[in-house]
Amino acid sequence: MRLLPSRAQNSGMPSRIRRPGPTLSLVAEARDPTAPDRGPTAPDTRADGRLDWSLFMARAQAGDRDAYRRLLEAVTPYVRALAARHIGNRSDVEDTVQDILLTLHTVRHTYDPARPFGPWLVSIANRRIIDALRRQGRSSAHEIPAEPEHETLSLPEANLQEAAADARMLREAVERLPAAQRDAIRMLKLEELSLLEASAASGLSVASLKVATHRALKRLREVIGKPGNRT
Amino acid sequence: MTSTPDLIDSLVADAQPVRRLRPPAVRALGWLLFAALVLVLVAVGHGVRPDIMLKLRQPVFFAGVLAALTTGVLAAMASFIASVPGQSRRWLLLPAPALAVWISTIGYGGLTGWVSIGPEGISLGENARCFATLAITGIPLSLAMLIMLRYVARLSPAPVAMTGSLAVAAMTTAAVSLFHPIDATVLILFWNFGVTALLLVFSGLYGKRLFEWVAR
Repeated sequence: MRLLPSRAQNSGMPSRIRRPGPTLSLVAEARDPTAPDRGPTAPDTRADGRLDWSLFMARAQAGDRDAYRRLLEAVTPYVRALAARHIGNRSDVEDTVQDILLTLHTVRHTYDPARPFGPWLVSIANRRIIDALRRQGRSSAHEIPAEPEHETLSLPEANLQEAAADARMLREAVERLPAAQRDAIRMLKLEELSLLEASAASGLSVASLKVATHRALKRLREVIGKPGNRT
Repeated sequence: MTSTPDLIDSLVADAQPVRRLRPPAVRALGWLLFAALVLVLVAVGHGVRPDIMLKLRQPVFFAGVLAALTTGVLAAMASFIASVPGQSRRWLLLPAPALAVWISTIGYGGLTGWVSIGPEGISLGENARCFATLAITGIPLSLAMLIMLRYVARLSPAPVAMTGSLAVAAMTTAAVSLFHPIDATVLILFWNFGVTALLLVFSGLYGKRLFEWVAR
């Protein structure tokens, strides 16, 4: 984007009565709408090929549709930059641009070609931008962003996923135990057999089953209790 | 939701030739002529107060009426000028000096005449006629102002509505003090100040809605 020379900027006029004046429409089209805008100033020259907004508005008031289309297309990027300066959300900016164009259309008979076009346009745009900011303020007062920590609820049913993760972790820890301890834990704690039944099923003595269970529990406690081990 | 190029297409398709607004001063003059017409008609229909010549020789009364009329003229001009987009909003302060003079004459009269109301000072009938004058002048003037400024609905309705109703209030209270022999100045204070405050509050709250209703 090239910097456009600005006469109004140098003349030290207050920004509210600066005149945006004409902009080459092709340059304006190519401009990135969200790029930092140049302020309400633009070259005031009305030399070859540049749109004289004031003249085009006067023609549009007389019913010249072609002039009106060219004016609206030239004004849109300028208005979009004005709106983007105050409104963060991109879709809200586009809404506001359309709002401004609609208002411009409704009150187009209030423009007096003897007066500069810029302040007329800017004061219309400012009204709609203020409206948009009010809307934003109202809606954001009723909304809170949903963040991950808001998803755990006090009801136990809401935390089923966490329970499932815990069960998976326990099963994996059991898998990693030595074979004798693993069998003892499975039969006595997970399948809840009695010591005698387990002894009959595995062929181990009751005493060795007790020892294996004790060691397995101790080891599981170590594995699961380790702080870095929680997934 | 339409895209912006589509919106431009539909706006262009709708671009009928429009009649440009006349200069604000001309439009203000039009409204003031209408206000003068209404005041003259009420004066013809109702008659001015019997002691008008005597009252006009009292400097406070004369200054008060003059200040009210000036406030009305300036407030009307301010609303018509400030309602055009791109004009400075400082125009809205135009009636402030005249308004200050008007309020100070009311206050002065109120202070000096406080003791002059007797128990039989003012009859209910006179008050009712006073109210009728108020409505007869106020309602057409307000309607004319609303219709003439209807385009301001989408611009800055509330401040313009407030200066507009200040113009109406100034005109109607000038009418009341010219046509009604209310010497109890507390009542004049009530009429002047109460009506102005009422209209200002009403227009500040509902100006936007009223303009939108008229502009539809």
